[in-house]
Amino acid sequence: MFSRRDFLRNMSGAALVASAVNPLLSWATDAQIAIPGKEDLIVRSYRFYDLETPVEHFRTWLTPAEHFFVRNHTHEPSTIDPAQWKLSIGGEVEKPYTLTLAELSRLETHSVVNTLECAGNGRAFQNPNVPGIQWQKGAVGTGRFSGPRLHDLLQRAGVKSTGKHVMFRGLDEVPGKVPPFIRSIPIEKAMDSDTLVATHLNGAPLPKHNGFPARALTPGWIGAASCKWLTEIKVLEKEFEGNFMNPGYRMPNQPVKPGEAVKPEDTHPVTALNVKSLISSPQNGSTSRSPNLHIQGMAWAGESDVTRVEVSTDGGTTWHAAALGKERAHYAWRLFSYPWKAPKSGDYTIVSRATDGQGRTQPATPVWNPSGYLNNAVDQVKIHVQT
Amino acid sequence: MYKLSVAVSLLLLACAFPHIWAQSASSPELPAGPLQAKATTACAECHDARIIVQQRLSKAAWTKEVDKMVKWGALVDPQDRDALIDYLSANFSVDKPQYVPERSRSSAAKKPAK
Repeated sequence: MFSRRDFLRNMSGAALVASAVNPLLSWATDAQIAIPGKEDLIVRSYRFYDLETPVEHFRTWLTPAEHFFVRNHTHEPSTIDPAQWKLSIGGEVEKPYTLTLAELSRLETHSVVNTLECAGNGRAFQNPNVPGIQWQKGAVGTGRFSGPRLHDLLQRAGVKSTGKHVMFRGLDEVPGKVPPFIRSIPIEKAMDSDTLVATHLNGAPLPKHNGFPARALTPGWIGAASCKWLTEIKVLEKEFEGNFMNPGYRMPNQPVKPGEAVKPEDTHPVTALNVKSLISSPQNGSTSRSPNLHIQGMAWAGESDVTRVEVSTDGGTTWHAAALGKERAHYAWRLFSYPWKAPKSGDYTIVSRATDGQGRTQPATPVWNPSGYLNNAVDQVKIHVQT
Repeated sequence: MYKLSVAVSLLLLACAFPHIWAQSASSPELPAGPLQAKATTACAECHDARIIVQQRLSKAAWTKEVDKMVKWGALVDPQDRDALIDYLSANFSVDKPQYVPERSRSSAAKKPAK
């Protein structure tokens, strides 16, 4: 395992390059920002919070809450009083009703280990650049989410045959004329036994930044399908019409040339995540004094399963099967590892590539789209071995 | 000797990347220029400058962003629109160096994990 101390030792002042500045400064200086409950995350935005997990914190199957990424579209609720919080269930239902947090907590609870990823994770690697939070690799994390099934809440209300979509409204505070962050999912996904109204992450109440006291958990789908600070569930006759359904969170129906404009009618909503992998060790830009490296990472595939991860140590020319970790769950990433001995001192490009149960694999380069969604290009890190 | 070399390295970095040291949690500043104050007023009402300074966009893309934000309530005098687009396009164009973000503080000792 490389540490920043190793990194510092191995880099002379003259050799420091811009790509190495971020991890160095973020540890070694006071250019850090206090965000209670969120530790050592990359601050893409402070007001409102958009916080990315640095890859060196991906060491375990479950991502600790303090290192779990945060994606907010607008301001968090300024105050949440658990005693006053209510969740309404209505719309195209026979018996609309409202739950308090105490009532919600008494319902049967289920747990789903889910890899949650922002649709825009990897946007920073799109070429040409696209606007939006410039996520690199860490707008993703895996957690054990627990709470009642959305199916059970809807069944109690009695969904009418006209109910085709389920809308989530959170308590986000919206400035100016900014459209509210409201989205909907199809009734089939809402009624899936793994779709939850989650109140807990990794066995503890949800952190405020991750949606306390309750959030939707739409497993295998982009994070935006799992609205936070949930206060209203409404069954609709059709997909919710709002900025974050259209034009937001949509992909071109057909591949487009980089930089090309796409008409709204030629797009569809982004739903499930695609197959992807990430190298968590060694770190990009690091130097190893030993030729023996333990290449590690994680791979996920939305609603599908990861069936194979391959690692290349020569920039993608030759590939080797990595061992998959024992910990697994339907919607969760698999850890992978590949022990490797560098043949000689020098620079190496390590690449990882995952394949899912349907035979889909990662492209060599990002597939460009106007909003930079679902970038699942192979991951790569450049290292130096000096023995 | 090791500590000294680290200190020297950090000093060199501070000189090389002074903007990093000027940032704070609540009030990162937009770059100097005739539109600095107006851009700050128009944009900072809803979000901090980090959302702007991390972008590296063409003028066409900045134009779209400014017009979207005006639609969403950003207070931009119509007479300032073109100048604001020029200001953002000049300061945050695709040829500028990559933005280096801060991190949230760790409550653990500032000792890197092994």
